[in-house]
Amino acid sequence: MSTTDTYEPSIAQSKGELLDSGEREYMLDVRTQDMEVNMGPQHPATHGVMRVLIRCDGELVTGAQPHLGYLHRCAEKIGENVEWLQYLPYTDRYDYLAAMNNNLGYSMAVEALMGIEIPRRAMMLRTICAELNRIGSHLIAIGTYGLDIGAITPFLYMFREREWMMALFEKICGARLTYSYIRIGGVFNDAPPGWLSEVEAFCDTFEVKWKEYYDLLMQNHIFVQRTANIGVISREMALDFGLTGPMLRGSNIDWDLRRDTPYELYDEIWKDKAFEIPLASGEKGTLGDTWDRAWVRVMEMMESIKIVRWCLDKVEPGPIIAEIPKTLRIPPGEAYVGIENPRGELGHYVVSDGGKIAVRCRVRGPSFANLAVLEELMPGTLLADAIAIIGSTDIVVGETDR
Amino acid sequence: MLSVAQSTESGLKESFGTNAVQDFLIGIKPEFVPAWAIPLTAIGVGMGIVLAIVALLTMFSTWLERKVSGHIQCRYGPMRVGWHGWLQPLADGVKLLLKEDLVPLGADRVLFVMAPALVLASLLGAMAAFPLTGAFYFANFELGIFMILAMTSTTTIGVVMAGWSSNSKWSLYGAMREAAQVVAYEIPLGISLLVPIMVAGSFNLIEVSNGQGGGFGIFNWYIWPWVNPFMLPAFLLFFVAILAETKRAPFDLPEAESELVAGFMTEYSGIRWSFFFMEEYAAMFLYCAVGSFFFFGGFESPLSSLAEGMAGTGSVLHQLAQGATIILKGFAGIFLMMWLRWTLPRVRIDQVMTMGYKYLTPLALVCVLGAGVWEALIAPLWR
Amino acid sequence: MDFQVIYDRIRSIKAPGVIGCDEPREPNPEDKKDKGRFGDSFVLVEPERLPEFLECVRDDALLKFELMADLSATDPSKDDENLWINVQLLSLTHKHRLAVKCFLPKANPVMPTSAPVHRGAQWAERECGEMYGITFEGHPDPRNILLPEDWIGAPMRKDYEYPEEYHGISCK
Repeated sequence: MSTTDTYEPSIAQSKGELLDSGEREYMLDVRTQDMEVNMGPQHPATHGVMRVLIRCDGELVTGAQPHLGYLHRCAEKIGENVEWLQYLPYTDRYDYLAAMNNNLGYSMAVEALMGIEIPRRAMMLRTICAELNRIGSHLIAIGTYGLDIGAITPFLYMFREREWMMALFEKICGARLTYSYIRIGGVFNDAPPGWLSEVEAFCDTFEVKWKEYYDLLMQNHIFVQRTANIGVISREMALDFGLTGPMLRGSNIDWDLRRDTPYELYDEIWKDKAFEIPLASGEKGTLGDTWDRAWVRVMEMMESIKIVRWCLDKVEPGPIIAEIPKTLRIPPGEAYVGIENPRGELGHYVVSDGGKIAVRCRVRGPSFANLAVLEELMPGTLLADAIAIIGSTDIVVGETDR
Repeated sequence: MLSVAQSTESGLKESFGTNAVQDFLIGIKPEFVPAWAIPLTAIGVGMGIVLAIVALLTMFSTWLERKVSGHIQCRYGPMRVGWHGWLQPLADGVKLLLKEDLVPLGADRVLFVMAPALVLASLLGAMAAFPLTGAFYFANFELGIFMILAMTSTTTIGVVMAGWSSNSKWSLYGAMREAAQVVAYEIPLGISLLVPIMVAGSFNLIEVSNGQGGGFGIFNWYIWPWVNPFMLPAFLLFFVAILAETKRAPFDLPEAESELVAGFMTEYSGIRWSFFFMEEYAAMFLYCAVGSFFFFGGFESPLSSLAEGMAGTGSVLHQLAQGATIILKGFAGIFLMMWLRWTLPRVRIDQVMTMGYKYLTPLALVCVLGAGVWEALIAPLWR
Repeated sequence: MDFQVIYDRIRSIKAPGVIGCDEPREPNPEDKKDKGRFGDSFVLVEPERLPEFLECVRDDALLKFELMADLSATDPSKDDENLWINVQLLSLTHKHRLAVKCFLPKANPVMPTSAPVHRGAQWAERECGEMYGITFEGHPDPRNILLPEDWIGAPMRKDYEYPEEYHGISCK
């Protein structure tokens, strides 16, 4: 976008119409210039370092252009230079709010090439951790969304629950944010004694608190007024852009990778009817608006609790990691595995030539695809709505940039 | 200290409440000091007291805000600096004074420096019309409420100056939103105040407060429906209008943290920023106190009527009770505003304007019409 | 649908640009060098006909690959003369996936853009293009997306040499 538009007042070119009285009427043609505002890399509402160049006419946004790359850490290039297992901590760091899911995606892609079977207890622990992390990620998504809209208190309440979740993860793997817990072949550490009952206590408390969040934030009239009918994504637009996850379900598109291309234990869980897929129905305002997407995320937290409870019911002692050699040499081939990240489909495409190091480790980050829709949604809205739209895409810039 | 008593020395004394100070100064005046220096010194002393009151109010309000927000968010707030952090504002003030004086490159230096001073000065001018007790005030204006509303409106000039001179597009947004919002909500603010003014029959704050006396200090408040049933809607409109005037949530778009960093205050730091802050909290107190004067009895409360009964009208005990009453009522209003801030999300600017012009103003006019009809026709039947 | 069924359908509707397919195979016990190939099957397509192929499989009723999950490139090794373009397609109606691959010669890495077919390809191609030095003809907005505007070179290529410094910042 060039910022070198010169302002030429059109006084000299005004038309002079001849009136009945014989005088000439000069119309002053007032031209205003659109203002280009930089929602810069440092901004409280861009969920990370991302720059959005907004061209606006007063408060009306007439154009938006996201600029990425501020958090690009060359994860894919590093994947071609380190060994298979050494790459795992890098996977934590692209979507740092849902690190367990990232680990899971990468491990599953490599395991698809190896063709090994994961022990059942490992799959149970993986599922519990992935779903708990989904809850944590959605808590931040909705909390920060409320913060962008101006409701500061739900953010702090949600962080209280997230602290508990992070304490649980700290007990099981030692880290609060970037876990590297789900490894190739299983998980690396068994749950300490009492951990599973603590998870159950968390589920019990969370169900009560969830109702609080739903009433405090989602049903608040001002929140509804700010988010309904804004940023409407139609079905055609969603499929065209390659959106996945709550962005799709917020437009009533029935697609969830856990149910439709099941992996790990999800086909069993689905057969037991332990969870449902929440689909937005345009309850407040248009179908596919930002309120619907926030609603989908809130409802998904409850479904994750149900999945965790199912796993807690059925988990049994056993091995937690498959027998894999210390130096991994993955058989040659290529595999793409997509899993359901809290933000959408996280895809890992790994290519191996039989060696210790990957040939290619491509990460398909859902936030990257979800962000593209901003160029289409933002023009025509007010500046305050533009912030709401960015918040509703629930991007993590670590994943957008990798 | 300051009293209503007239003195025969100078004609100025009838309009200023600083008569006692002037009497005292005349008594000790050395020979070489001219006569016109006395009222000026008295005014200076009065302004100093007003400034001190504003500073104390702000200090206490900032502490209250942090504690209230903390407890609403399930955390404690300041706990270390003094008992439960009551010295925190002092520590904050010291820190702000020690900060670097930053004027952005490209900012209009004159306007940038002048804006916070103008904002605070307008507010101090409004506080001049605010009586702390029945006899302790800087000036007893006959058009008290008029003066307060007029002076608080001029803070908008300072805000727009701040936003423009910061040479930042985001600050400009905040300033423009503020100007639009304040202008829109001045109307329902003024109109909703007409309802109690009609009942009281005066613009003078002290007379309005005295009009709500009797009835154990609580039953003659104007808010009760038996005084005028349109008072409660008028108060609700007034409260929404003062939330918008003081830029408090849910109308805090001009300083929307998550969108505009800090709106028009973005480029300000240190003591300049604290001027804006002082203005915000003092304005909150002033508006809440004005609301208490017109709707909730002002100086009248069971405490003050007890003190009046015990020690007589105008006595020191009575005045202390009056002062305590108005301060408590003001802070109750402030507490309510803080409670709302931490509960409700922000309303978008076009929704704010729609609400102000399309809903609140017609409702305010209806209230005034109804209240007028009530006062003229129905109230004289039993009053 | 199974991969073979999908591939047969692709052949039967005469989707443009199809060269062949590749499926995983076990290692050959006689040939020690052949370790086999594991993982996914893919369809091989000519790069010049990729947008038409994508449109064809998107619109066909039995295939209906409406969602393009990913478009990326791979540099298999320094010695290989081709780059790979990998496209991952997803069908929501039939719940199946398809992997599509194109071999793009490194000597002339130019191919038409798939942005008109799938809007999501626009950003993916920007990233792919800047990282591997591929030009997508007809792309509406071919600026760099993750790299700075004045970055020289294609970083993800195997023969890429890091610059000594960038605007005064040392890269070593």
